[in-house]
Amino acid sequence: MTDTTSGVVPESAGEPAMKSLLIADARTRRRNAAETRFRAYGIIAIGLAIAALFWLLSTILADGSSAFRQTYATIPVSIDASVVDPKGNRNPEEMRKVLTLSYEKLLTTGLKDYIAKENLQIEGLSDRDLKGFLSDQAKANLRASVLNDPELIGQVVTVPALTSSRIDGYFKGRVTAEQAARDSKTSPAQLALADALKSRDVLETRFNMGFLTNADASETRPESAGLGVAILGSAYMMLIVLVLALPIGVAASIYLEEFAPKNRLTDVIEVNIANLAAVPSIVYGILGLAVFINFVGLPRSAPIVGGLVLTLMTLPTIIIATRAALKAVPPSIRDAALGVGASRMQTVFHHVLPLAMPGILTGTIIGLAHALGETAPLLLIGMVAFVQDYPDAPPAGLFDPASALPVQIYNWTRRADPAFFERAAGAIIVLLVFLLIMNLAAIWLRRRFERRW
Amino acid sequence: MNDMSIVERKLTQDEIKISARGVQVYYGDKHAIKDVNVDILDKTVTAFIGPSGCGKSTFLRCINRMNDTIDAARVDGKILLDGEDIYDKRVDPVQLRAKVGMVFQKPNPFPKSIYDNVAYGPRIHGLARTRGELDEIVEKSLRGAALWNEVKDRLQEAGTGLSGGQQQRLCIARAVATQPEVLLMDEPCSALDPIATSQVEELIDQLRQDFSVVIVTHSMQQAARVSQKTAFFHLGNLVEYGATDDIFTRPQDPRTESYISGRIG
Repeated sequence: MTDTTSGVVPESAGEPAMKSLLIADARTRRRNAAETRFRAYGIIAIGLAIAALFWLLSTILADGSSAFRQTYATIPVSIDASVVDPKGNRNPEEMRKVLTLSYEKLLTTGLKDYIAKENLQIEGLSDRDLKGFLSDQAKANLRASVLNDPELIGQVVTVPALTSSRIDGYFKGRVTAEQAARDSKTSPAQLALADALKSRDVLETRFNMGFLTNADASETRPESAGLGVAILGSAYMMLIVLVLALPIGVAASIYLEEFAPKNRLTDVIEVNIANLAAVPSIVYGILGLAVFINFVGLPRSAPIVGGLVLTLMTLPTIIIATRAALKAVPPSIRDAALGVGASRMQTVFHHVLPLAMPGILTGTIIGLAHALGETAPLLLIGMVAFVQDYPDAPPAGLFDPASALPVQIYNWTRRADPAFFERAAGAIIVLLVFLLIMNLAAIWLRRRFERRW
Repeated sequence: MNDMSIVERKLTQDEIKISARGVQVYYGDKHAIKDVNVDILDKTVTAFIGPSGCGKSTFLRCINRMNDTIDAARVDGKILLDGEDIYDKRVDPVQLRAKVGMVFQKPNPFPKSIYDNVAYGPRIHGLARTRGELDEIVEKSLRGAALWNEVKDRLQEAGTGLSGGQQQRLCIARAVATQPEVLLMDEPCSALDPIATSQVEELIDQLRQDFSVVIVTHSMQQAARVSQKTAFFHLGNLVEYGATDDIFTRPQDPRTESYISGRIG
């Protein structure tokens, strides 16, 4: 790779002949060849990186984009008063005692009636297939809407109902008839029914808003699982990190960079901040568990604890970025301000800080993006729990149990049903979109605040 | 701008403005300034000359305590401004620097508008109560720095967009705006071309009417052109101090003679 001079005897030694500039000598050729090789290595490295990135993104998009679509069945269901309101007094308290199981009967009856009306002949279609055709969540949703609006009782409603994950998977190409024969949760007959309904436009696969707004769902109903709680939890934690880490980090950096004397103590602090930035994030999780949950007694699984742990984790990044930004401000600006009689604090706040702002903001957003994708410490403080209730609005909601985007991905990849695999990949897409937005914000802020001097 | 009638302008006063007694400066272990005694007169341009690293800039920075910003620097001895020791514990360097302005080697305007550059000092020192008063100070300072006619129509434009010579005059205007009594200049022309240099030199001569000006320079011609008194520094010692004419025509010390004749430095 490198040119070695040892042992190379000049070609023209002892020969004072004229050298033409038009002919490259051996040494120059070797040097040029080395340069060409080096460039080739660089291009290969970049090519590999781009290929890897492309591969990663394309697999994630291929696996995950189907999570944003979901199959719904729109069949007429008559809300039978004798089933949902057995005493006939429309008393909400008593209607609440009617379980989801009764609503399942309504839906199954609706499906049966439709098959009879359309005169569909499907071989081997059992009652079990009919029951399992729609999602458990569809029954729960129907119950909720009837309890919410008792006027519906006695009417025939045609609301889109979630189909089971197998039917949904059939239209997304995840489930085939051969697999269905071996699958206890579906059957070829059920799929044949799905085909028949599809041809009558009763089944529709369309955009799945529920994926972004719903809470997580249990093992048996992946079709209704969504990221709502995880997105809220992550947003709350980012809020806490921003509110705590930015002022603390910037204040610490300004003190260390502009005011603190340069002595052994500040050297030790400086080295330790650099070390803290390299501490594995799971260690921060253990710290959070020991300090915030066991000692302070904050609730488990709460965004407040996650936010505090991520704040600790992000602080070194912000401090290092801020100090670099402050160092990059030319000292002549400080001299100028001190020279006209500004105090140190005026110098910093009037001149140095505005010039360092783009660097500080970029560092902060990179730190936040890092925190947004962090999983390990959240597992230790209990954010891995199954949370189905949305947290309240802040500040009270900061103490409610919540999930987080990366943890939700981790949870879903651990579940057996292949429908969760699709949703995990879909959640990765959501997480990547958030990270992309944050990075774009960093670029925009940098452009916006950048000043030349 | 008037002609360069430096010689005709008489020294109006012999009043001592700054008096240094036994000043020592250490940078860590390095003894940078060794026992300097000097009396700097009011309404006079005093030039500090000497080879690089001789301590002339260091001594200049002692006069407004800019050395305080360097952790390793330590200053001993006494520097009296109007008879008051500026290194007394009760002295706030911020107040001192409002009285002793400074212009640096490289033009360093703030990355703000021309107006804000000049108005910054008066603002933080509360010299103007109204917008009108501030406008007045800015105009007076820019006129004092012979820059007003060039920038009066673009006061809101960035100070960093000016040419090098204009930037340096803007820095002088900024220093003048806080109404100092002493103006320190650390090689103010070293980054400027000859035309800008002559403009700044002319300006320095005008400033002498209102301030005591101390200028550090590498150019002996410049020292001869603008100053009435000259101090020659060598290896941290103040070798010779006297009227500029005497230093350049009848140097007392052999080291001074070697330097001005170009044999050392």
